[in-house]
Amino acid sequence: MVRTVQQINQKIKKGDVLVMTAEEIIDVVRREGVEKATKEVDVVTTGTFGAMCSSGAFLNFGHSEPPIKMQKVWLNDVPAYTGLAAVDAYIGATELRENGNMDYGGANVIEELIAGKPIHLKATAYGTDCYPRRKIETYVSLKTINQAYIYNPRNAYQNYSVATNSSDTILFTYMGKLLSNYGNATYSSAGQLSPLLNDPECRTIGIGTRIFLGGAKGYVAWQGTQFNTKTPMKNNVPTRASRTLAVIGDMKQMSAEYIRALDFRKYGMSLAVGIGVPIPILDEQMMKCVAISDKDIFAPVLDYSIQSRNRKPIKEVSYAQLRSGTIELFGKKVKTSSLSSYYLARQIAEKLKGMIQKGEFLLTEPVERLPEDMAVEPLEIVSKEEVK
Amino acid sequence: MARRKYLLGFSPARVGEPITYMIVKEFDLMVNILRAEIDERGGRLLLEIEGKPHKITSGVKYLKEKGVEVKELNEYVSKEEERCTHCGMCVSICPADAFEMDKKTYKVHFKSDKCIACGLCLDACPPNAMKLRIW
Ligand code: SF4
Ligand code: SF4
Repeated sequence: MVRTVQQINQKIKKGDVLVMTAEEIIDVVRREGVEKATKEVDVVTTGTFGAMCSSGAFLNFGHSEPPIKMQKVWLNDVPAYTGLAAVDAYIGATELRENGNMDYGGANVIEELIAGKPIHLKATAYGTDCYPRRKIETYVSLKTINQAYIYNPRNAYQNYSVATNSSDTILFTYMGKLLSNYGNATYSSAGQLSPLLNDPECRTIGIGTRIFLGGAKGYVAWQGTQFNTKTPMKNNVPTRASRTLAVIGDMKQMSAEYIRALDFRKYGMSLAVGIGVPIPILDEQMMKCVAISDKDIFAPVLDYSIQSRNRKPIKEVSYAQLRSGTIELFGKKVKTSSLSSYYLARQIAEKLKGMIQKGEFLLTEPVERLPEDMAVEPLEIVSKEEVK
Repeated sequence: MARRKYLLGFSPARVGEPITYMIVKEFDLMVNILRAEIDERGGRLLLEIEGKPHKITSGVKYLKEKGVEVKELNEYVSKEEERCTHCGMCVSICPADAFEMDKKTYKVHFKSDKCIACGLCLDACPPNAMKLRIW
């Protein structure tokens, strides 16, 4: 049984496509087997809603009278990067407000823009013959901004580690609040619903793939930063943080329900991004991939009190164990917490399913495949002579 | 039998008096100390008091006569539903199991009657959905 993306799109247009979420498909395959399920189901939708620090947005403010070549820009007192053309800027999610507090940043600006709120814009410049203005203060909103598009260099991690803390003090990390003496453990992947765990080798997800991004249609722009294919595998999926996606999408179409500023106390700000990816069931092999369930996906438990990039995993645990609410570490029951919302991941997969069923969302073939062989290099501290 | 939570505040001069002993003994109440703090502003006690309703009322009256500030505590923290993403970070943080992850809907429910006012969830919720009511 083989089907093409074109055939699926024909069915979507005719309105007789069969779509299921990556959660629903598990039972169908268990009941009916891969062969029958492959014949019946055309598309499986995935979803995730978690903290994705490597996120931000490009903005074009339009020209003032007289014009200014912005050299420094602040949005609600959060610096944006403007080493681009005169009125272009990039606001990064983790950039903090310049008042010493860590509770407001680029993520909030992005969330508020999407929610339609006014944003205070301040810019300074050195003034040129063509751009004489040296300072501007005004208000902008998503309506007044010419282009506002999310460009996130690293989202939707294919698997991620589980964090715990062996020390005797509470740690505040990007993996949340970690209680002392293995008081809890946190994890972040949506497991069986997560996009890249359902297409582990990225056969169907590639450059140009149309996706659900923050409530609107978006696209895979590139492989994400720290894209890594050289990780250990179990049950045909990586057991470490591995592949990632760089994604792009129009903020003007997005909804604040699926983009949320997150405040990790004593760490900083991050952005929760809602992403859903449809997976065309091209053949039985693809069906086997999407049928994976939480009990077959494993993640390493890392001790975040060890402040080194070389910490060794304490053990591997499955997402079924993690989602049960407790895991066992050194003979002790440790409570677990998810940092990403399984509730919203499910809602995103459902929403995307609805969009496809209604004919509002067509599937794409990748323009180019993501790298099949790519490693992540560490940063070494070396001299000019030593650098490779 | 009724069970209520009270927040007691008293001045530094009064911290020495055995007020909890008195309400246990004189009013036949069961007292569970959920939280205690003493600093330069005085002492604060969070008590769960169990007993006959009229005895609780008399006990509270006695405390007030002794110059103790008494406030019935309904909610120490609250969960702002519009901001909650149902991630579940709070679930492993709360020592009183006041947060329940519904395994069917995957929504997180906050049971404020279980709360012992430790405050641990306040700086743990990433979208800032947990808000302090009083202390
Ligand atoms: S940590 Fe906050 S957002 Fe997450 S479930 Fe608890 S209250 Fe909701
Ligand atoms: S204040 Fe403490 S006991 Fe109350 S809900 Fe928060 S973590 Fe639980």
